[in-house]
Amino acid sequence: MGSFVDFFLGGVANGAVIALMALALVLVWRSTRVVNFAQVGQAMFTTFVGLSVLQLTGSWFVALAVAVIAGALLGLIVHVLVMRPVRRADSSGAIIATFGVLIALQSLAAMIWGGEPRSYPTPVEYVGLEIFGRVFPITPYDILVLVVTALLVAALAILLTKTKLGLSMRAAAFNPEVARLSGVRVSRMLAVGWVIAGMVGAVAGVLVAPTSTLSPNSFDIFLVFAFTAAVIGGLDSLVGAVAFGIGTGLVLSLVTGYSDASNAAIVALVLLGLNLWFKPDGVFSHHKARSV
Amino acid sequence: MGYYLPLTNPVLETVDVNVTLSGLHILKDVSIGVPRGSVTGLIGPNGAGKTTVFNVMSGFLRPDSGEVRVEGRRLRHIAPQRLTRLGIARTLQGVGLFPSLTALENVMLGATVRVRSGIVADALALPWTDARQRQLRDQARAVMEEFAVLDVADRRPGELPYPIQKRVALARALVSDPRILLLDEPAGGISAGDMADLGGLIKSWAPDRTVLLVEHHMELVMDVCDFIWVLDAGSVIAAGTPEQVRSDPAVLAAYLGEEAH
Repeated sequence: MGSFVDFFLGGVANGAVIALMALALVLVWRSTRVVNFAQVGQAMFTTFVGLSVLQLTGSWFVALAVAVIAGALLGLIVHVLVMRPVRRADSSGAIIATFGVLIALQSLAAMIWGGEPRSYPTPVEYVGLEIFGRVFPITPYDILVLVVTALLVAALAILLTKTKLGLSMRAAAFNPEVARLSGVRVSRMLAVGWVIAGMVGAVAGVLVAPTSTLSPNSFDIFLVFAFTAAVIGGLDSLVGAVAFGIGTGLVLSLVTGYSDASNAAIVALVLLGLNLWFKPDGVFSHHKARSV
Repeated sequence: MGYYLPLTNPVLETVDVNVTLSGLHILKDVSIGVPRGSVTGLIGPNGAGKTTVFNVMSGFLRPDSGEVRVEGRRLRHIAPQRLTRLGIARTLQGVGLFPSLTALENVMLGATVRVRSGIVADALALPWTDARQRQLRDQARAVMEEFAVLDVADRRPGELPYPIQKRVALARALVSDPRILLLDEPAGGISAGDMADLGGLIKSWAPDRTVLLVEHHMELVMDVCDFIWVLDAGSVIAAGTPEQVRSDPAVLAAYLGEEAH
């Protein structure tokens, strides 16, 4: 059995990836007031695109760039072809439609790339760092993931709170009619929200793929973890998504370390249940009342 | 053809507007005009169709027939997000503030139309977006100072008393520097003292701005308006100066009729 420090460090690294996926969920929620259950499907699909580019070019970073562009395009396509028509008919139908998008993307990926699990390489080493002769369960790749997460959070925080675009996105999501009266092009802002979330999800997908395997359903479990982190964090809080993304990673690492990996998803759901029972608004939420 | 009173130089008008919703004929050949530089009232009993007129004017409702004209030009397919660019601002019944934004951000939102920026530049947080953001903030703060709400700039609407929220909402409407203001029940829920202040404020905007006011408080309407249109059951039943309207038998019948229910 490993030490607490080992589980802790491993948990932080896993948590950073959960945090990225939670960030994508929060972004769609903040900009469109829809919980996008298709987020992991979009991330999986764009990661497959990245893998294809990686096999063609041999460049991990070119693959990442193409995956991010694919994420933006896929976000826009989902918004225009599915979410916009559905939202016109019934706002609650939009959330159910995201499940449909998830299933469609998984089926499409299986048709294009097959259902066999693939491995996704890392751009830097994925072996524990050796410090003073002791090997820690945190790798240079984990550090890269943490740095990318930190940079993305900072960039998104600036975008949403310090720019006119961010202000308009927040307004359009909350009350489209009032936002329109203030001159905000609501439809455009919703599209921008889906595009940015698609890009963040693509980054999350490419970063998480090397730590597991890549198949049409391999990211499903991250939806449970990311959703848990996003909801406990307050669903509209970037800081909450990151804090509880990393927190969820920590808890799961400790559960896996001290009991069994199969208990991880159950613990995540228990945490989610406790949060909804005791603090349904989420820890970092500004709002009262959020219906569950 | 409904009640029609030709006005010289109306800056905003509806011409023979009809609206049917769920089988109900909500507006019937409504033709009203708002004289330039005036404070014009739009009154009527509950359900008369006043807010529907505002919704047609601001593009939230497309009329079955008839048209909206600004400066004599017909507006085709009015979109609410284009109103501010046309120099028109509208407030909503209640306050319509965003609870998750601070008071300052709420007002800044109204000023976005005055500050040019691009999605890509904003998304990349390019250096000049900082300057534009500062410009937006400065404009919002200046108007908030005018409305005596600068001290609550960093508070969220839920933390503010209702009359202060109302003032923040007015500041947001004014920050786009509109030439036409559509005010939907601005005095709702405020005290008599605050109403007197509001009246003074509205009068001070004319003649630089044209105001169309929907309001239930007759004292305020009679005090601030130069001209009044009266709607009842979706039709215009009277128009004129406050004195003319006050003594119009059709208006008295409409209001007394309402009280009789």
